[in-house]
This record gives sequence, structure tokens and C-alpha cells, in this order.
Amino acid sequence: MQTNQLLLIFCSALLLLGLLAFFAGRSKATRLRSAGTAMFAQPDQYAWFTVLSTAGPAVVVSALGAFVLLLMGADIPTLYLLAASLVIAAIGLLVSLNQVKPDFHARQAIERVIRMTLAGAALISILTTFGILISIISEALRFFQMHSFWEFITGTTWNPGASFLASAGRGDGSGAEFGSVPLFAGTFMITAIAMLVAVPIGLLSAIYMSEFAPRKVRTVAKPVLEVLAGIPTVVYGFFAAITVAPIIVNIAGFLGLDASYNNALAPGIVMGIMIIPFISSLSDDVINAVPDSMRQGSLALGMTKGETIRDVVVPAAMPGIISASLLGMSRAMGETMIVVMAAGMRPNLTANPLEDMTTVTVRIVAALTGDQEFESAETLSAFALGLVLFVITLALNLVSVLMIRRFREKYRVNNL
Amino acid sequence: MSHSFDEISQQLKRRHRKSTRLKWITMGSLGLAGLFLVLFFADMLSKGLPAFQQAYIQTEISYTQEAETDGRRAFDEELLPLISRTAVRTIPLELRNNPDMIGTSKAEWVLANSDVDQYLKGHRHRLSDEEQEALDARVESGQVDLRFNTTFFGSGDSKIAENAGILSAVVGTIMTMIVTLAISFPIGVMTAIYLEEFAPDNRLTQIIEININNLAAIPSILFGLLGLAIFINFFGVPRSSPLVGGMTLALMTLPVIIISTRTALRSVPESIRHAGFGVGCSRWQVVRDHVLPLAMPGIMTGSIIGLAQAMGETAPLIIVGMVAFIPDVGVSFTNAATVMPAQIFTWAGEPEQAFVEKTAGGILVLLTILISLNAFAVVMRKKFERRW
Amino acid sequence: MNRILKTTVIAAAVMSVAGVAQARDQIRIVGSSTVYPFASYVTEEFGATTGNPTPVIESTGSGGGLRLFCNGVGEGTPDITNASRRMKVSEFERCEENGVTDITEAKIGSDGIVLGQSSENDDIALTREQIFMAVAAMVPVDGELVENPYTNWSEIDSSLPDREISIYGPPTTSGTRDAFEELVMESASEGMDVYGDEGYTDIRSDGVYIDAGENDNLIVQRLSEDTGAFGIFGYSFLEENTDTISAASIDGVDPEAEAISSGDYPIARSLWFYVKNQHAEDVPPMYDYVDMFMSEMMIGDDGYLRDIGLIVLPEGEREEWRQAVADRTSMTADVLK
Repeated sequence: MQTNQLLLIFCSALLLLGLLAFFAGRSKATRLRSAGTAMFAQPDQYAWFTVLSTAGPAVVVSALGAFVLLLMGADIPTLYLLAASLVIAAIGLLVSLNQVKPDFHARQAIERVIRMTLAGAALISILTTFGILISIISEALRFFQMHSFWEFITGTTWNPGASFLASAGRGDGSGAEFGSVPLFAGTFMITAIAMLVAVPIGLLSAIYMSEFAPRKVRTVAKPVLEVLAGIPTVVYGFFAAITVAPIIVNIAGFLGLDASYNNALAPGIVMGIMIIPFISSLSDDVINAVPDSMRQGSLALGMTKGETIRDVVVPAAMPGIISASLLGMSRAMGETMIVVMAAGMRPNLTANPLEDMTTVTVRIVAALTGDQEFESAETLSAFALGLVLFVITLALNLVSVLMIRRFREKYRVNNL
Repeated sequence: MSHSFDEISQQLKRRHRKSTRLKWITMGSLGLAGLFLVLFFADMLSKGLPAFQQAYIQTEISYTQEAETDGRRAFDEELLPLISRTAVRTIPLELRNNPDMIGTSKAEWVLANSDVDQYLKGHRHRLSDEEQEALDARVESGQVDLRFNTTFFGSGDSKIAENAGILSAVVGTIMTMIVTLAISFPIGVMTAIYLEEFAPDNRLTQIIEININNLAAIPSILFGLLGLAIFINFFGVPRSSPLVGGMTLALMTLPVIIISTRTALRSVPESIRHAGFGVGCSRWQVVRDHVLPLAMPGIMTGSIIGLAQAMGETAPLIIVGMVAFIPDVGVSFTNAATVMPAQIFTWAGEPEQAFVEKTAGGILVLLTILISLNAFAVVMRKKFERRW
Repeated sequence: MNRILKTTVIAAAVMSVAGVAQARDQIRIVGSSTVYPFASYVTEEFGATTGNPTPVIESTGSGGGLRLFCNGVGEGTPDITNASRRMKVSEFERCEENGVTDITEAKIGSDGIVLGQSSENDDIALTREQIFMAVAAMVPVDGELVENPYTNWSEIDSSLPDREISIYGPPTTSGTRDAFEELVMESASEGMDVYGDEGYTDIRSDGVYIDAGENDNLIVQRLSEDTGAFGIFGYSFLEENTDTISAASIDGVDPEAEAISSGDYPIARSLWFYVKNQHAEDVPPMYDYVDMFMSEMMIGDDGYLRDIGLIVLPEGEREEWRQAVADRTSMTADVLK
């Protein structure tokens, strides 16, 4: 019998048992109550208790069994597993029906289970982080067994070509080099360009919205900037590749310079546009949170509004602004679609933004689409790159959170 | 250092002018950001709106005996190079299913070739000069025309440019979003309820909170790596399916839903909870019957916004394989499928000129859906917002 | 009572969705990016005109596809792989080791490898030696092997234009790359003593040769933007993009269908696909797809694939291969040697 049909039968059997449990439990409880005894809980709650005792163990056992199947590769026929779970469900039904007594705190029992379920749900987020860490680290470790970590961090040539032949049995993979410096150089270059666009515009817009703008402009401007953040990155990528890149090439040609169609300026500028809302909205919140007393004091001393902003408000908000910039930077570094569509494929260690270069995220995508053998060093290199990317963005996020915390403590603000 | 009154008032004027300049500069930068937005939409509209029109040719289809083996025989030889291959290839099947049609003929508007279409729209094409002249004559006589492009909305992807449509991607997006919501909404709301209402204020809780904030900031591509290594390789979920795509996106949407649900729960005043305790409810009963219903509008708006974010994600889905070529419109969770952003990505990689407008058209459809979702969320929030 | 009813209905609905049975009738195809346009045309036609679901096809490169194909039998392995070069003996042996013992080979047509450029450039004539000098990792200068110093075509031969050497080409997973190395590099360097007896096929990695991935469409796109560069891809991509791409003549012969088919054009090769007969039971529509591919309607003189750039086999050969596929002949290693 196919697994899916088995699953269907199992689920319907469990459903029937659950219904049975519900009605049986409720009728017993009602009977006891109408006989005159005082009960600790409502009949409905006893009913739910029996349902939980029936379905719960069955689901847990089958889930555990499935997990063991996967992890150990043990060959437990699905039929036996599901049949065993159904038997356990039946046992649970009988035992719990027995438990339906006047002095049994059914409601508390149910609520204990509910609390455990909620806590379990909360643990899933931790499991996710572990999952990411495990998947990336384990594959990255396999990669580092094949190629030295030091070479990876400091090498300046990225040429994975021969590693495919090795895993196809056609060659020994020598000549494949995995120096990631040009990739990170490309990432940093494009991130730098993005920051150069986003930070001034974002910060100045935030200053305008919080200090100068009338209420109406503020209520309109904030959502409009949020739209910039909501545009999918693949759309930005298309825009960068089809519209912005040719413009840059034309301008460069006009100025007598030679720009590649996959230059770093196009994705950099478009990424900057995408990040503007991050910086502006966070800076806006921070600037608003600076206590008004500081502004009033400065104005009372005779400084103009502009000087107040420049010398009092912004320096006070600086930790928050830096935090916003770091978050924006981490977003830019991890961005994939814009660079996949607009940046080049060639690892290029250069300081000229008009040349084509590639980034870490582009190589991760290139290594994992198309040929997919988990023995090949090239596929595993994607995980090694992912690991370094993860560490860098994590570090940036941590510093950013620390700065916001410092700002919060300094000015006793609660709403950030 | 005594300055004359004049000097001081000069200085003051300068300082005020600087202040006003700052005001204009900051206003200008906000305007610049707005300008980017306007230029962007103008560009997308100009590239994408033509996609909603497609060239059709009015021609006579003669269902001859030979047409049953080779669909090309049903058409006038002169017109054949102008007609789309899609109109031609279904003729044999049609005739096999309806043999009584053999011998008849009828006049119909059929889909024209993408070259004809691009020529009429003024883009790059591959028609020779004579073909262009002949075409112009037919346009004059009304045989060739641009009409509303139902193929774009009604069919799936195709290698044949004039036949490419977005339906399979839309259905794929819907299927994937169903899985995403089904996983992330219950887990996210449950986590938020636990953290807000039940969790003791200890180390473990702090760790969970820090963890969630970190998850929200991890680059999306790393979730794709997780999906590949664990869901596909370890758990054996079929590659390219809405199931694995939905599971990966669910993990990404989880932090968003958790954070917005917590905010919604926090906005319910303590007095409600105290009133519940006062009449003897247990903590769970207070949450289930009083706090949760009041926080529900906020939770829904947060989830809709999270959904909109997930809809636009491409990178993790590429890693998980959802960029296959999908012409069928399939309603399955385990068959290969594609989503709208991935479809846009694939179309952007096609060199044929006709695909540029298809890509932009797909972008317009996606943007419309996203903006409507976000607007809906904002309107709902305004409507159900309760000021305590 | 209402709530119980509602809960039951929802639970039943959820479970029914999970329990929907699936048989696998979606064919899984991987392989060459050169064969991809032809195969995806057939898959689309197959899905549109028969009642079956459209096969899922991925462009992984000939090498990548053959490796996935030979990973074994069963769920998770592809049913058919396309290749722009014949299977190698080592790959066949690996297939046998992993249990893939019943394979049918099918030859569908010919293809030429062209050196394409943006049509904005003047026509250009190249020889295989010149191309070799442009891409080899080590070249002979004054009788000694050194790292390739050439950055401009005119440095290799003064008759060539003053253009920076920039070539977008396929990665090592690609059959086009294998064919290029064999037909251009090996044949050009076999005569040169400095490389010893065997040919030399290492390609330079200093950025002049750019690995453009398995998507030949991307190479075509790049060429229309980067007008000074060349691209290495199959003839069909030239055919389909005549408005933007033109190609160099090689050793005096222009890349045209007759020249490629007759063998005059020096960089010509055949296109293949391989069928895993052991999957026939699990995937019922597989043979219908295969037979449709081999039909006259597709690969014949007047066939649809010819319209999109396939160079068809001579009629006799076509008939031979069609028969072999219809008989589901199981291939042996001897035919590969």
C-alpha cells in the first residue's frame, strides 16, 4: 500500500477515535455530575482531556518513529508504525476514560498540555537557528577538509572549474582554487556604493520628516518610503540590469570611460535605493526618541534650528543612526537577487566600480543551481561562503543591537 | 571680543540661512527618494503595459485531411510564417477528437508570431523588409491587430514568447503561500502567546527572544541553504515543490509574525486581563477568550504583511529548485512548480526581445498584488484599531 | 455541538489534502543546455497535445546530467538525460556500478559550436590555432611554454582586429565545453611538439575566458551588451538570434546547416539523449515522450525542431535510430569505444 493511502487511513482512524473519545468522556462526566457529585471541571473539559490523551500519544509515537526512520535509516515498515500508534491511541482512550472522576482536575491537565505545546512552538525558532547552523557548518566542514581554510580566507583566485571533473571521476581536481578574497571584495564594493547612496538620503529624509515636515507630509511620506522597501528584490534586479546599467554605460562612455554592462555601480545604486527606507525609518524613530528637553535647551541658548539638529540632536541619536546603518549594511551584504541579475560572473579584485565583478551571493547561487553533487568541492564551497556570510551579518547585527541598547539606556527611552 | 550690533545681526542672518538651507536639503533628499519611486514605476509601466496587448491575425483555417497529421497544412502558406506555432500544433489533436470537422473551414483570429507582435509594438524584431511591407498592408486592411492579451493571464509559461503566461506562476504562488501560512501562522502566534503571556522571565526566554531577532536579520539565501540541506537532502521533500518552498518561506516569515503578534498582544491593556482573573478565569481562558480576540486585527495585519514579504522572495526558492520550466497549471503540493518572482527571474534571462515586456508585465502583476495586500492590511488596521 | 462539528470538518479537510494519492507521471529530464531548447519544445508539445503532464526539464550541462542519471535507479534520479556529446566509457561504467544497466541511446541530430559575437561587429574569420592561442592556459612563446600573455586578438595574428580578447564560455559541466576542448584545442595542439604527444586542453583562468554558467541564453544576452566579446555556444542559439548575433567562420568555413551536417565545418558534433528503461513501469508516459521526440514531426526534414535550429540527420540514419529507440535497444560499452 502506498504511504499516502496509509496516512489517509491513519488520520481518519485517529479522527474517529478522537470523536469517540470526546463524546464518551463528555457523557461520562455529565452522568457523574447529574448523579449529584460536585466535579472539579466542566464536562466539556473532561471531554477534551480524553481527546488529548487519545490523539496525543499516537501522534507523538508516530512522529518519533518517523524521525527514527529518517535518522537511523531503520527499516520499520510504515504499516506497523501506524498500527502501533493506533493501538496506543486506543489504550489512551480507555485509560483516560477511567480517569474521568469527580476529583480529577481536568482543566488543569489540559492547560498544562497547552502550555507545553506553546513552549514547544517557541522552541521551534531555536530549532530553526540550529538547523541553519548545522546545515551550513556540516557541509562547510566537509569543504574545509578538501581545501585549506587559510587559502579560502586569504587566496585571491577563485577558479572552481576542475573540481567538477574530479567528482565525475574524470580527473583529480587539481588546479581548482578557492580563494574567496575577490568575492568578498566585490560584495564590499557593492555594499559600499549602496551605503553611499542610502545613508545620506535616508538620514536627511529622516531629519526632514522628524524635524521639519508638517504632519500631513509625514503621514504621506512614511508609507511612500515603505513602498520602496516592499518592492521585491527580483524586480529591483530587473530594473538594475535593464534600465540602470545601460544608462551608466552611456554616461561613462560620454565621459570617455569604459564601463562594462555588468558594472558594480548599477546594482550598488539600486541596492542603495532599496535600503533607504531601512535607514530612514529607523533613524526617524531614533531622532524622535531624543528627549525634547535637549532641543528646547539648545534653542533657549540661542542656537538656530539647523545648528540644534547638527550639533545636538544628531550626535545624541548617533548610536541609533549607526545601528540603522549597520543593519542596512548587513542587508546589503546578504542581498542576492539584485546582484545575480545585474552584477557579473567573473571574480575580479579591483577598485574600479565600472568593471564587472561578482559577489559572494552570486557564487552561492551559481554553485547550487545546475550541477548539484554534494561530493563536489564547488557545491560545498557555497556552504563555506554561506558560513562566512552568516558570521559577518551576525556580527553586524549584534553590534547594531548593542548600540541601540546603549542609546536606550542613555536616554531612558522605552519604545525602541 | 565685542562685536557691533551689525556684525551680530549679519552673523545671525547667516546662521538662519544655513538653517533654512538644511531644511531645503533634507526636503530635497526626501523628494529624491520619492523621485526614484516615480521613475521606477514609470519605467515598469512603460515596459510592462504593452505586454497586456498581443498581436492577432485573422485568417481562414481549413481543416483538411492532411491537417490531421501536420497542422501546418491547415493554413495559408503565405500567412504561415506570421502565425504562432501554438495555433498550429493543436490542430491535429482537435481533428482527432472531432473527426467531423474535416472538410470544413472557418475564419478565426489566431495568435500571431512574436516577431509580428514586436514589430507592431515598435521593438526589435526579425522580419525582413518584404515581410514588413506585407504586414503593413495587412494591418491597413484590418487583418492584423493588437488585442487584449488573454494568453498572458490564462496560460502557463512557454518557450514560445507569444504564448507565455503567468497563470502557472500565480497558482504556484498561491499553493506555496498556503503552505507558508499553514506552517508559520499557528507556530508564530503560539510562540508569541507563549512569550508574552506564559513565559517566565528567565534566561531561556531571553535566549529565545534574542534568537528570534537574529532570525529576522539573517540573509534570505541562507534559509535556502537550510531548505536544500535539511528539507530536500535529509527529509526527502520533493525538490521544486510548493511544499518545500512553503516550508522554507515559513521559517523566514516566522520572526515577522512573532514580532507583530507580540506587539498586538502587548497593545491589549492589562485591565482586560485583570478583569478576567477577577472573575476566576485561568490564564489560558483569559488569553483564549479575551486577549486573543482583541489582538486578532493586529495579528491579521501583521500576518498579511509577512505574507506579502514572503511572496516577493526569490533567492531561497531558487536554491530549493523552484525555477523549473512549468507550462502546466498544476494544483499539487508535491509536483514541481514555480512562483511569480521566480518566473520573472527566468523570463529576465531569455534573450528573445519579446520576453522583456513579458518580464515587465509579470512585474506589474506582482506589484499590483503586493500593493493591494499591503493597502488592505493598512486599511484593516485603521478600521479595527482600538484606542485604549 | 457546533464547535465540535466545525473542528471535525476542518480536521477532515486538512487530512484529506495530505492524503491525496500521487502516482508519478511527471517525467524528469536533465542534461545538456544545448539540447535544452529542443527538448523543452518537445516537452511543451507533449504536455499540450497529449493528456499527460508536461515533463520537468532542467538544464544542468551534459556532464552534470550524465552524473545525475548514473547515480542510480528509483525515486530522485532522472528518467532521461540529454547530452551534446556521446556518453564516455567511464560514465557508462559508473552507471553499471550504480545499477543503471538498461539504457537506450538516441541520436537526434547534429550541432555545430560557433564562436558568436554581436552582429554590430564586422564579419571575422578565425582559425582553430588562433582560437587555441587565445584561450589556452599555457602557450608556446619562442619555443617555451609560458602563461598566456595575449590580451588582444591582434597580438596573436596581425591580420586580426584590434580587439580585447574576451570570451564567454561554458563551464566544465557542459558538453559544449568538452566538445570545444576536443575539437578545437586538442586538434589545434596535437601538431605542436611543445605539448608532447597528447593535445592540450587547459583553459586560462585569468579572466579572459569567463565561465558564464549553463544558461546559454545568458551568453547571448551578454554579447548584445558587451559588443567586443565572443561567446561559445551551439548553432541553434545562433539561428534563433540572427537579429543580434553573427558568428565567425572557422578555418574558412561559415557555420551553416549544410556545412555542419556534411562535416565541412570543423567544430561539429552530434546531439543525444539517454533513456533509463528501468523507469518505464514507474513513469508510464516516458516512452510516449521518447517516441514523439524521435518522430518525423520533430526531427524530420520538415520537422518543428528544424525550424528552431536543429541540424537534422540524413534520412537513413534517422530511420536507424528511430528503430533502435522503438525496439528499446539496451546499449553496451562497445558502441562508445
